[in-house]
Amino acid sequence: MSCSNLTMWVSSKPALSDTSSLSCRSFISPFQLPSQNSLPASPSRSSSVSPIHCGLRELRERIDSVKNTQKITEAMKLVAAAKVRRAQEAVVNGRPFSETLVEVLYNINEQLQVEDIDAPLTNVRPVKKVALVVITGDRGLCGGFNNSIIKKAERRISELKALGLEYTIISVGKKGNSYFLRRPYIPVDKFLEGTNLPTAKEAQAIADDVFSLFVSEEVDKVELLYTKFVSLVKSDPVIHTLLPLSPKGEICDINGVCVDAADDEFFRLTTKEGKLTVERDVVRTTTVDFTPVLQFEQDPVQILDALLPLYLNSQILRALQESLASELAARMSAMSNATDNAVELKKNLSRVYNRQRQAKITGEILEIVSGANALV
Amino acid sequence: MTLNLCVLTPNRIVWDSEVKEIILSTNSGQIGVLPNHAPVATAVDIGILRIRLNDQWLTMALMGGFARIGNNEITVLVNDAEKGSDIDPQEAQQTLEIAEANLRKAEGKRQTIEANLALRRARTRVEAINVMS
Repeated sequence: MSCSNLTMWVSSKPALSDTSSLSCRSFISPFQLPSQNSLPASPSRSSSVSPIHCGLRELRERIDSVKNTQKITEAMKLVAAAKVRRAQEAVVNGRPFSETLVEVLYNINEQLQVEDIDAPLTNVRPVKKVALVVITGDRGLCGGFNNSIIKKAERRISELKALGLEYTIISVGKKGNSYFLRRPYIPVDKFLEGTNLPTAKEAQAIADDVFSLFVSEEVDKVELLYTKFVSLVKSDPVIHTLLPLSPKGEICDINGVCVDAADDEFFRLTTKEGKLTVERDVVRTTTVDFTPVLQFEQDPVQILDALLPLYLNSQILRALQESLASELAARMSAMSNATDNAVELKKNLSRVYNRQRQAKITGEILEIVSGANALV
Repeated sequence: MTLNLCVLTPNRIVWDSEVKEIILSTNSGQIGVLPNHAPVATAVDIGILRIRLNDQWLTMALMGGFARIGNNEITVLVNDAEKGSDIDPQEAQQTLEIAEANLRKAEGKRQTIEANLALRRARTRVEAINVMS
């Protein structure tokens, strides 16, 4: 071991002025050099990285492969960033619709409160069975995004089990689908797949399914599990009661057992760009200036029938959009971490590579010098 | 007095500007709206919306929703809306034929309802083009 340390010491020394003192030993090192290359690396470098044991050529290959990986992760990060911007745009474009909708709904509810209305979507029944709509992503490589929403779903399922309620799952997104397919003991009503950018059509497909389940009284409550987009670095998995809709715009309380999640909000008007606001109060103030006398062309029930599906759709669409935005943001940060790691790894590998190369050259010089000395 | 029309879908704003007059198909028949109309809330059926700009009539296919009129502001909230000029006539005609075929094939109540809806949507789109030309 003493000689191995010595070679290391030599190689790291810039000048070779004191070759004479070393030349006597140098005849040992050439024989051991190839196998030694890796050994001396461990004591000197273990502080920064785990020891890297391999030959020069392998090192070069590893550096190349790390370089490629870095390129890929960097590209993925850029793509995710561009997509986040597009997703944000979609949300911004959809905002006037959802804001007006909530405003109108609130306005009409105020006027309808005197009348006794009975719309199918607002029926509050004792809960026996709950449908959970779980929104996951289609792809991996996005950190803990899919995992955290699935974990949330699992936790909700065990909560429901503890309350002695039945449940069924509507899974949206490939990752969730494959997870639930692998677990046949979890009852799944439907598997749906999302596409690149959520549209009203997809929201409609989910809404149709949820609607028929609820109206046919197969389930008594529908909950939406999705990832709420808070900012580019933060997103929370949340549970949100979808049905029964409350015609008065309040959080519905269930008689007897409370199956509402604590973080349940009803009029959810979250905005993007990192600024999160639930604008219920704002909505209220804007509705005040609207004409108090409003004629109803049709029966109030019919009008609510026309409005509530719109509201349901827009809620689902919003959840899909937020989930997508969170997924992309998660992927962006995961990929930027991966790129950073690749840069770091590349740096360490090239350092090891250069040291080894220099050690080899030093060894060869020593060999020549000692050979020359022997001849004299 | 100016009348402002705003047509909103979940994806985007389809129309937001001043108009002279509109004709809206509601669940209980068509209604015409001129400036200073009384405040009205109405459900909007799947059907065409006709818009008058000066002397020019435009059509739009609406896919069901809700409208609120008041203060010379018309807000139409619909699941989907397409301007007549943006619809591809051939594609719309094909969709109509497919929808008709589907209705003939439909079995059971649920399928019939769905096929009927699809047919009405397709028919509205074709109508929106025909009114134009």
